[in-house]
Amino acid sequence: MRRAAAIAIAGAMLSCAVLLPLALILKQAVTPDAESFAWPPTWLPRQPTLDNFRALLGSAELPYGLRLSVAVALLTVLSTLTLTVSAAWAAARVSPVGRRLDAVLVVVRVFPSLALAVPMAVLFVRFGLYNNPAGIGLWIAHTLVALPFAFFVLRNAFRRIPVELEEAAQLDGATRFGAVWRVTLPLARPSLAAAALLVFLVSWDEFAYALLLQVTNRPLPPLLYYFSAFGYPGMASAVAAIMLVPALAIIAVLAPAIRAGGLSGSGR
Amino acid sequence: MRRRDAWWLAWPLLAALLLLLGYPIVYALRLAFTDPLTGASPQLVNFSQLARDPLFWQALRNNALLPLASVALELVTALALALFLSQRFRGRAGLRAIVILPFALPEIVVLAMMRYIFVPRGYANAALAALGVSPLDWLRPGSALAWATVVLVDAWHVTPVVFLILLAALAGIPEEIGEAAQLDGAGPLARLWRITLPLLKPALVAALLLRGVDALRIFATPLVLTGVEGVPVLSSYAYHQWADYGNDALAAAAATVLALLSVTLSVPLLRLRAEDA
Repeated sequence: MRRAAAIAIAGAMLSCAVLLPLALILKQAVTPDAESFAWPPTWLPRQPTLDNFRALLGSAELPYGLRLSVAVALLTVLSTLTLTVSAAWAAARVSPVGRRLDAVLVVVRVFPSLALAVPMAVLFVRFGLYNNPAGIGLWIAHTLVALPFAFFVLRNAFRRIPVELEEAAQLDGATRFGAVWRVTLPLARPSLAAAALLVFLVSWDEFAYALLLQVTNRPLPPLLYYFSAFGYPGMASAVAAIMLVPALAIIAVLAPAIRAGGLSGSGR
Repeated sequence: MRRRDAWWLAWPLLAALLLLLGYPIVYALRLAFTDPLTGASPQLVNFSQLARDPLFWQALRNNALLPLASVALELVTALALALFLSQRFRGRAGLRAIVILPFALPEIVVLAMMRYIFVPRGYANAALAALGVSPLDWLRPGSALAWATVVLVDAWHVTPVVFLILLAALAGIPEEIGEAAQLDGAGPLARLWRITLPLLKPALVAALLLRGVDALRIFATPLVLTGVEGVPVLSSYAYHQWADYGNDALAAAAATVLALLSVTLSVPLLRLRAEDA
C-alpha cells in the first residue's frame, strides 16, 4: 500500500512538472492580453476568448508564416529524401562505405547551427537569397539540418531488409537497380514515410536558421519569438498552439517507431 | 557490390554536403582570418579583438559550464526516471508518454512558455506569492539564478532523450541478476550501485557523449530567456555580433571557435560509434 501511494505521488508530481507549463501556454492562447498582463496572473482564463486566433488570422504575418513554414518543410522533405536514399542504401549494403558516411553525418548532426548560419547568412546576402520571400535560403539550410535524420532512418530501414531478397530477384532476371526498385523500396515504404514525417518535423520546429535567414519574412518559429519578445502574450501563445498541432500529431504517428529504435541515431 | 559503385551512389549526398557544409565552413574561415578593414589575409586581428572583449570570455566560459551542468542534471534525472518507470505498476505507459512529451514540443514553444513562467510577473512568482514567499528575479541578466534557470529549462526539454536511452538499456538487463543478488542479501542501494550502474555504463557513456556534444550548440535557450547579454554563450555572441553590429568578421571568428570546440569533442563520440559498428 505504501508503495502504491509513493508511486501515485511521484506520478502526480511528474505529470504536473510536464503538463502544467503546457497547460499555461494553451490557457494564454485563449486569454485576452489585458488579463495575461494582470498581477497576480490567473491560472484559468476568466474570460476565455478566441480573439487571439482571430487577430492572428486577420494579420498578414500568420497566414504568410504558416504558408512559408509548410512550404519550406515540404520542399525540405523532397530534397532530403532525394539526396539520402541512394547513399543510405549503399551505406546499409557496403559496410566500409557505411562506416565513413556514419562518421560524416554524425559530425553534420552535432555541428553547431550558428557556426554555419552566420556564414550562410553572409553568403545569402551576396546571392540574393537572404530573407527570400519564398524561403529558398531557409530551404537550403533546412536540407542540410535534416540530411542526417533522413540518412539514419533510411539506413537502419535498409539494414533490416535482407539482402537475400534483392539477390533472389536478381536470380529471377531483375537488374540490381530493378531489384532495389521493385523489392527493397516497396518494403521500405513505411520507413520512407517515417523519414518524411521526421524531416517535416525537423524543419517545422527549427528556430536558429529561421531567425538568422528570414529576418522579416518569418516562418512560424521566429514569428512566435517576435510576438513573445514584443509583448503579445496572447498571439504568441496562439502561434504556439498552432505549431503544436502538427508537431504532436507527427510524434504520435512516429511513437511506435521511436520505441522500436527505428529512429535511433537520429537523436529524436 | 564493389566499394567504388557504392561510393558512386553516395555522391548526391556527398556533393550536397560539400556545397552546404563545406563551402560555408571555408567561407567562415576566410571571413574569420581576414582583416575587415584592409582585406589582408591571413590575419589574426578578429581573434585578438575577440580576446579583448569581456563578453566573449563570458560566452566561452558559459559555453563550457552550461553544458556540463545541464548534462549532469539530465543524466541524474533521466536515471531516476528510468529506474522509476521500469518498475511495474498500473498507468506506467501513460506516465512514460508524459515524461517523453517535452521533447515532442518545438524548442521555441518550450522557450516562450518558460519565459512566461519565469518573468518577474510570471507564473513561478505567482506560485511563490500564493505560498507567501517573496518573488525571485529568475532571469536577471548576469545572475547565478538566471544561469540556473537556463540549465533547468534546457534539462526540462532534453532529458527525455537521455531517459529513452537509459530505459532501453535497463530493459536489456536480465531481472535474474538482481533477483540473485537479492537472494544473496544485497539491499536495493547495493544492487543499484554494484549491478545496475555498472551494467548501464555503456549506455551512460553513450548518452553523455551524445548530449555533451549536442549541448555545446546551446543558443535559443539563453537568448530567448535572458537576451543576448543575460547569459551569453558563443552562439548568441556570434548572433549578437552579426545581427546587432553587422560585424561579419567577428561573428565568423566566434563561430570558428565554437566549431573547433564542437569538432574536438565529437572525436570520442565518433570513436564510440566506430566500436559499435
